[in-house]
This record gives sequence, structure tokens and C-alpha cells, in this order.
Amino acid sequence: MIEARGVSRSYSDGEGGALRVLDAVDLLVQAGEFVAVVGRSGSGKSTLLHVVGGLDAQYQGEVTVAGQRLTGMNDAALSRFRNQQVAFVFQSFHLMPTLTVADNVALPAFFSAAPVNRTQGTLAALQRVGLADKKDRKPSQLSGGERQRVAIARALFTAPKVLLCDEPTGNLDAATGDAVIDVFRSLNREGLTILAVTHEERLRDAATRVLTLSKGKLS
Amino acid sequence: MRASEWAALVKLSLARDKRFAVSSAFGITVGVASLVFFVGLGLGIGKLLREKVFPVDARLVEVVPPKLALGGLLGGGTIDETTVKRLSELPGVAQAFRKMNVRVPAVSRYDGDFFGRPLRMGLEVLAVGVDPALVKGDLLLGDFKDPGPSQPIPAVAASRLLEIYNKSFAPARGLPNLTPQLVTGLMIPVEFNRSFVTSSPGGTVTASQLQLVGVSQRGLLAGVTIPLETAKRINRASGVDAETFTAVTLLAASPGDVPGIVSAVKGLGLQVDDEEQQLAQNAAAVVVLITAAMALLSGLICLLAAVNIAHALAFAVRARARDIGIMRAVGASQADIRNWVLGEAAALGLVGGVVGTMLAIGAAVGIDIWVTRALPPFPFKPETFFDWPAWLWGAGVLLGTVAAFLGAWGPGRQAARIDPAAALAG
Repeated sequence: MIEARGVSRSYSDGEGGALRVLDAVDLLVQAGEFVAVVGRSGSGKSTLLHVVGGLDAQYQGEVTVAGQRLTGMNDAALSRFRNQQVAFVFQSFHLMPTLTVADNVALPAFFSAAPVNRTQGTLAALQRVGLADKKDRKPSQLSGGERQRVAIARALFTAPKVLLCDEPTGNLDAATGDAVIDVFRSLNREGLTILAVTHEERLRDAATRVLTLSKGKLS
Repeated sequence: MRASEWAALVKLSLARDKRFAVSSAFGITVGVASLVFFVGLGLGIGKLLREKVFPVDARLVEVVPPKLALGGLLGGGTIDETTVKRLSELPGVAQAFRKMNVRVPAVSRYDGDFFGRPLRMGLEVLAVGVDPALVKGDLLLGDFKDPGPSQPIPAVAASRLLEIYNKSFAPARGLPNLTPQLVTGLMIPVEFNRSFVTSSPGGTVTASQLQLVGVSQRGLLAGVTIPLETAKRINRASGVDAETFTAVTLLAASPGDVPGIVSAVKGLGLQVDDEEQQLAQNAAAVVVLITAAMALLSGLICLLAAVNIAHALAFAVRARARDIGIMRAVGASQADIRNWVLGEAAALGLVGGVVGTMLAIGAAVGIDIWVTRALPPFPFKPETFFDWPAWLWGAGVLLGTVAAFLGAWGPGRQAARIDPAAALAG
């Protein structure tokens, strides 16, 4: 489902040099796997997620996800890929504060190439995370756990093949984090491929496979 | 992104930041309002000048004898039947109308009932005889031909003279306002070979009656227009020139033929009396100049509004960097983001353009009402000082939209270039 070969990514260090955060990384994730990538802060976990999610195209190497070769894709094709094949769940939830829960969940519909039944899709996604009764609320009226479930509902709205999670429990207390992890487990049992980067043990324990990213290398 | 989704996204994002929307649209509204207002005013004043103050028919060419000509000293330089025939045969000339002044003085002494009011006055009367075809379209009573001696002479008054009477003469004297229909049939006594201001020219004073049979823009402004044969008869009876014409009015087949006709007329050693056209052109030029200056000023306001939108959107783009990152993560392309920003600006411009145009028209209606109520009647006072052709409405809306769109171009590109990964991380 995810195949990355020899992926390298460098950033400017601000002093004329380059900081290599991914160094010829190889990654293979089979369909239906729940893989956790662990590593210290700044180890390049989020960068790896952005590369395989098509958010970052400034890398060297080859990346293929859900049968689509991302390397060399133009912006429009990468955008369609992000809209239809993958979905992100972030540590900071990244909900639009001025939109309702329902509008946040249906946000991908704005960029869909084909018409989408917004009402039905939103309701189904919110029911999946148990928040159908809060569709008209604003994110500020929800708890942290509820916000992350809204973010998961948004991710499920387009029925992606791969869910990419960036420290999804990082801003949640233990009990709320466990509830979110339960949702991921459930989704994975239903066949959804999940790649999560984290430094939390609970999420690592929930994964079917754990990889470690250190000094730009994946092991 | 599909158009319906694009429109929905623009609507959603504008609704969430109303203060930004209102402040950005305000500048556009002011610019468009002032532009539409001044252009509408300029067009209205121009129309007033063209249609009422200087109702010049662009197809008419007034030919007069040269003021100073060698031929005149030798007995030439006049317009006779032969000259009229040559003029009527010039390329582009559809018709030629002869004109002959009544070449003896005339006065009118009116003492009697004037539309229910007693009126006593005496005035010098100027009269010009014309070919009936020149004014036949404006006749409201009878035929415009010489009735013979001792019969009332059919006469046509100038529409501008009636306007001056109604707005200036009548109010000052408590006389009623008159319409062309009301004055038709009015009998005015006239005495030829008599003058209040010059010594008696000699000859027999002939008393007659003028009967108004119509009001025409082609009528003599400071006098009356009578049939050509009547003028000839009066001149002949008074022993003055009854053969040569004072002027010939040429009707061109189209306005485009006029320059060629003017050139040919001058080639015949005659002059073109274009004093009225020159006045109209000068007045129109002044109006165009002032309108252009005001439109330029308004255009600058729109430019400033576009710059304001550019700054506001650039700030908004920076403030919305995280939102842009989120939209990119869920599938927005660079083009989607750029179009979203441009769409917001275009919507603001559209609203600003519509509101500005409506404000301009509202202000114009207010001014027209104020002028109607507060200012006394004056000649050529119009019902409205403005003209609103459909293209002006469209131009107002288009200007607002285009100004906002151009202002948003830079911020739109800036938004599209935002790195989503960095925006989400930041």
C-alpha cells in the first residue's frame, strides 16, 4: 500500500548548509497494516508522513502509495491524491474554528472532482466517531477528545485507503487518548491501512508493527 | 474544484469574516459610486445640451453667402435659384431647403386676452421664410403655404423660444405656461414696414396676422418662421430683394456625408454657418473634459481600493496560513487556493460594484428631487440631470469586480505558494 525507496529530505539550516532529516529511507507498508513510526522530536517523523501523504514533494527517492507513484506528480494530481486516497489526522486537530463540526467534516467535499453527497457523508462519518449529535457545534464548544474525533470523521469522509496520523494523541489526556486509539484499532480491523508517527507508548502498543526513525534512518 | 463548490467556499469564508468583507468592499463601493455618479451626470448634461439647449441635427448644413467676396463687390456672392440647384446636386445632399429673411422691419403690438390673462406688449418681429418641407413634420394645424394677401400667415415658433417663455418670461409676469398644442392657432398681429427701433424705412405699412401652426426645433430662435413664398411676396411688395436667398439648409443623406458637403460648399465660394454647432461642440467638450477629470479621480479611488484590498488580502492570507494548510491537506490544489482568494475578492468587488452603482443612482435621484423642489424654473431645466444607459450599470459592476480581482492577484499567488507542510507544522 505504501512503498518508499531511498527517500531523502533536507532543509536549509539557515546558515547556508543543509539539514538532512530523512536519509535514504525505505518503507514498505502492506494494505491493512497499522504501522507506528516512533522517534524523538525532530527526528523527521512528520516529514516522512508529509512525503508519503503527498504534502511535501521536495524529496529525493521514489514514493508509491495506493498504487499511485507520487514522485514527479504535478500539484493538481497530488491534490487529487490527497483528496481521494489518503487522509491526515494531526496532533493539533487542525479544525477550522469558525466552521461548524459538520462543515469541518465536509471540508474535503469542496475539493472533490466528483459531486459528493455532503449531508449523508458527514452524518455517516460523525456517526462512526459517535458525534452525530454535535454536528452544529463549533470546535471551541468541544473537548479535546471530541475535536480529535471530528478530525478523524473528516479523515473518513472521503473513505481513504490510507490514514496518516501525526501524533494523534499528543494533545489528549490518557483516557481520551485511549478512546481515540480504540477508534484507530476499530478502523484498522475494518481494513483501513494506518501509518502513525508518535512517541507515545500507547499508540505504539496498538500498532501491528513498529518502526524507529533515528538520525534520518528507518529501522 | 467545481464551480458550485468554489462559490460555496467563497461564500463560507466571507461569512466567517464579515468585518474584513465590509471594510474591503467599502473602498470599491465609494470608487464605483463616484465614477458612476459623475459619468451619469456628464452623460445627462451632454444629453441636455444636445437635445434641448443646442438641438443640432448632425445631418444639417446651413449654407450662407460669403461675408466678404470679390464676387459680392461685382454683384456676385449671393444665393440664387441657380446656386440652390448646384447645392442640391452636390454628392451626399438629400434635400435643400431655401430660406429668405423678410427684409423689411416688422413689429407686433398685442393688446388683448392671452390665455385668460390681459396682455399688452409690443416687440420687433424677425421673420424668415422657409421651404415648407423643412418644418412639415412639426405642423399641428393646416398647410404651411402662402395664404395670399389679407389672410393670416401660417407661422412656426422655435421650441427653444417656447422653453425660454415658459421658464423665464411667463413666471416673471404671471403668465401661463404654454405647450405646442396650446399655442397652435394663436393669432398675433403684425405690421410689416414698421419698426420701434429704427427710422421708418418708407413704403406702405402692411398689417396682417400671424397664426401659429406648430413649434419646431428648426424654427428661427428669435423670431417666427413663415412660408418661403410669403416672405417673397412681402419683400416683393416692399420693393426689396425677393430673388436671392438668405441661406440654404442642406440635409445630408447621412452624418458621414457632412464633411464632404462642407468642403464642396466652400469650393463653390459659399460659407457654412456652423456657429450653433461650434457652440454645441464647445459646450460638449467642456462637459466631456469635466466628466473625464471626475472619472479619472474616481478611477484613482478604485485603484486605491484595489491596493487596499491587496493589503487586506495579503494580511488575511498570512493570518489564514494554517487554514490554507488544512485545505491543502484535504485536497486543495494551488490553483484552488488561488481561485478561492480571487473568488473572495471578486465577490467583494461585485457587491461593491452593485452597491456603488445603486448608491450613485440613489444620490442622483435625490439631487433631481432636490433640484425639482428647491430651484425655481429656468430655461431648459431638465427632469433629470443624469443619464443611465445600460452599459454604465454594467461598467460600474465590472469596474468594482475587476479592481478587486486585480488587487487580489498578488495575494492569490502568495496564498497558492504557501507550503502546506510548513503551515501545518507552524
